[in-house]
Amino acid sequence: MSAERVLFVFVLIVAAGFFSLNVQRLVQYLRRGRDDHRLDHPARRLWNVLRIGIAQAKILRDPVAGPMHAGIFWGFLVLTAGTVELIVQGIVPGFTYARFLPRPVYLAYSASQDAFAALVLAAVAFAFFRRLVLHPRRLDGDKTHHGDAYFILGMIGGLMVTLLAMFAFDGAANPGALGPEKFVSRPLAALLAGVAPATAASVAHTSWWLHVLLVLFFLNYLPYSKHLHVVTSLFNVFFSNTSGPGQKGVMKAMDLEADVEQFGANDVAQLTWKNLLDGYSCTECGRCTAACPANITGKPLSPRKVVINTRQRLMESVGGLPLVQEHAATAVDERHLLDDYITEDELWACTSCRACVQECPVSIDQLEIINEMRRYLVLSESRFPEELQPAFESMERNGSPWAFSPADRGKWAEGLDIPTMAEAFAAGRRPQVLYWVGCMGSFDDRAKKTTVAFARILKACGIDFAILGQEESCHGDPARRMGNEYLYQMLARNAIETLDRYQVRTIVTACPHCFHQLGNEFPQLGGMYEVIHHSTFIERLLEEGRVPLQTEEGQALTVAYHDSCYLGRYNDVYDAPRETIRRALPIAKLVEPERSRDRGLCCGAGGGRMWMEERTGKRINAERTEELLATGADTIAVACPFCMTMMADSVKSREADARVVDIAEVVADRLAPG
Amino acid sequence: MKIAVCIKRVPDMESRFKIAANGVSIDETGLKFDISDFDAYAVEVALQINEKAGSGETTVICLGPDVVQETIRKALSMGADKGVQLKADSVPADSLAIAKALAAELKDGGYELILFGKHSLDAMTGGAGTMVAELLGLPCLTAASKLEISGSKAVARRELEGAAEMLEFPLPAVVTIDEGIARPRYPSLKGIMAAKKKPLEVKGAQLGEVRVIVEKMELPAERPPGRIIGTGPDAVPELVRLLQTEAKVL
Ligand code: SF4
Ligand code: SF4
Repeated sequence: MSAERVLFVFVLIVAAGFFSLNVQRLVQYLRRGRDDHRLDHPARRLWNVLRIGIAQAKILRDPVAGPMHAGIFWGFLVLTAGTVELIVQGIVPGFTYARFLPRPVYLAYSASQDAFAALVLAAVAFAFFRRLVLHPRRLDGDKTHHGDAYFILGMIGGLMVTLLAMFAFDGAANPGALGPEKFVSRPLAALLAGVAPATAASVAHTSWWLHVLLVLFFLNYLPYSKHLHVVTSLFNVFFSNTSGPGQKGVMKAMDLEADVEQFGANDVAQLTWKNLLDGYSCTECGRCTAACPANITGKPLSPRKVVINTRQRLMESVGGLPLVQEHAATAVDERHLLDDYITEDELWACTSCRACVQECPVSIDQLEIINEMRRYLVLSESRFPEELQPAFESMERNGSPWAFSPADRGKWAEGLDIPTMAEAFAAGRRPQVLYWVGCMGSFDDRAKKTTVAFARILKACGIDFAILGQEESCHGDPARRMGNEYLYQMLARNAIETLDRYQVRTIVTACPHCFHQLGNEFPQLGGMYEVIHHSTFIERLLEEGRVPLQTEEGQALTVAYHDSCYLGRYNDVYDAPRETIRRALPIAKLVEPERSRDRGLCCGAGGGRMWMEERTGKRINAERTEELLATGADTIAVACPFCMTMMADSVKSREADARVVDIAEVVADRLAPG
Repeated sequence: MKIAVCIKRVPDMESRFKIAANGVSIDETGLKFDISDFDAYAVEVALQINEKAGSGETTVICLGPDVVQETIRKALSMGADKGVQLKADSVPADSLAIAKALAAELKDGGYELILFGKHSLDAMTGGAGTMVAELLGLPCLTAASKLEISGSKAVARRELEGAAEMLEFPLPAVVTIDEGIARPRYPSLKGIMAAKKKPLEVKGAQLGEVRVIVEKMELPAERPPGRIIGTGPDAVPELVRLLQTEAKVL
């Protein structure tokens, strides 16, 4: 074996060995996190890898950076095949895939190497241009690693240059060796026609060395950089929350009887290994933060920072990787993710809108980390904004987050001839549908109008339904979102008991939070019901022609529909509310705000924000209302009582000439008399 | 310091009350119960005093049937150390009878401070605290809005109409607590779990003779609904007339 080959094999072993050692370390660090079962729904997981990972579905949501990154990524995949060939050449001189690949396949492969090397080089050039000249805002802030990004881009550029140089000088050394399939390197080689073949051959050889050394260095640089995502993101997508129907944003039930030191997470050890893998996978792209309603309106929260901090704290707590030890080992044990990295204020600013999760190209779940830390604050330390205490206490005492008397819950229905389940059962009837009204719908004056409107529609369509009346009680979702899992489980179990007492199977509700909680989270506690949101229910009735509508064409409204997070991003219901308006009032003109559907901006009330003061920055509902009014709409339509309050408040405070209505009110207004 | 806090279990005041069939008590079905607000303040004050001192023991005492154990657990989950239930079938309307039972329990407990809420949210007599002080021969201070302990002395603040007074008194003493002194903490799950393991002693209540009894209970008269007598200036004469003749405020 030649000395050069021995040297190469040695370098290869050292590089591969060091890399695999670091990978082992990183995997070991993940084990500091809690267990979490992440192998259910394997087919959906694989599908996610193909769609989000390989096909770059989420990356491509950004029309500028999307194609650029997809170009680099696909180029990377194709060129890796070439890299393997080049490395084997170092051990077996003269090795080429041509030895066993059919000629046309080899030619195609050969052409692909040229094509993607050029493509990647162009994408890298654009990436430099974008960062240096276009300067997208989302890449800033949160102490992101700009230097790291340039270094990596430079290295990728270097890889492409050395690759193309190798091809071209090879061509110059062996005139006629490059076929037309080498459509990039052949013209380059032609330019080098004047170089002596021997010189060209040695430059080509040097380029080979530079290229493989760069590959090996790049590999070993990854674990130290945000570009670790190259290695982890496909795994991260595979293990991410499965996101099937009814699975999005579902908070997992805690074992409250567990004999543990603390509940929830104030440090990385209480997060799950998947939360920690999220930390490895973050590319610091800032898409999450750019979509975060709290961040947009000047609150201290940045979901990107939450994820970066998780990785930083993990690395600090384990002492980092060899060569780059992070911090002195002392006092590390006294530090925590909470307070030392992430403050309480950041955590309480979250509206649980899921925009961050929706946007993240590598399927990181920022919200899960936030929720686990909120749980710690409430359950272990009883630390939360003081406005929340009355809400907790009221939920516990009155079964509603507001201090209304439970006895008044069914008051809206007085005189409307709507039976309660108790009355129906006493009369020997078993209604087919339960209308779950919810706390807002029962007590809030504005929301009660929606409640009545929806009840009128149900009656006009002859639906056999009943309400629980006084027996309805909060399902606890607000408590759960605010971190009070204990109160949540108490309330949820109580609600399930009531529902099961009346053998309820089908539930309709006009509140997306009730819809999500009853339909998607109650199964954890054994509550199995078919839950339908009123938008879907009314739309179906309209489609079946069961709603007796007026014959006049009605008012030609210009309607901007505001997407509710818990209906949209949590449950993928985007069309039903729009379709409901279209069918009930065909003359209406539907307009879309800039951010709509899965990009819709939160109203600001979710995640318990409804009960907290909004002290910092611009009000989220103001930001949203401005956007909705900018469409020129005279009517803002909502499908959620929380959105209703937020939008109505903001429209009122700016004295705008627009109405805020629930989609049920639009339909109820159109009911034929009688 | 050894502190005792006497607490009471009361129905949630947001409830719609009904009179029970016997006509002398409220119908408890469907009502939610909790620790009386002022008593919760008193528990919080006790906890803060001992936390500040870095040592001490807070005992909560509650008189009533076994359901009051839930109320005691609530105080324990906030951080009190021990609970005592003075078992009685019901809570009598006679404050002195109650005070005697409490005094019997408190007498040999070695408490340096005995706290009450300034009155219960349901009966609102405010009698038990002062009577216990009398029975035990201790100084008594009512409706404290601030309480500072220094050694064997204490200083309390009381809010008066348009003024406030500071009073100094020796310990042991009985103090009843006004609202606003300290926001009662919300028990953490950790606290709730710990409370399950804390001691809760059940003793028979040595009630005094019950001389005051409820004879009859009534709901307040329903307020007549509002009336719209018109809008604009035209309605003014009629409004004035009604204010004079019906409301008799002019
Ligand atoms: S859930 Fe919404 S508010 Fe919370 S961090 Fe994500 S984007 Fe921001
Ligand atoms: S969490 Fe996801 S979206 Fe946010 S910066 Fe990291 S990779 Fe980008």
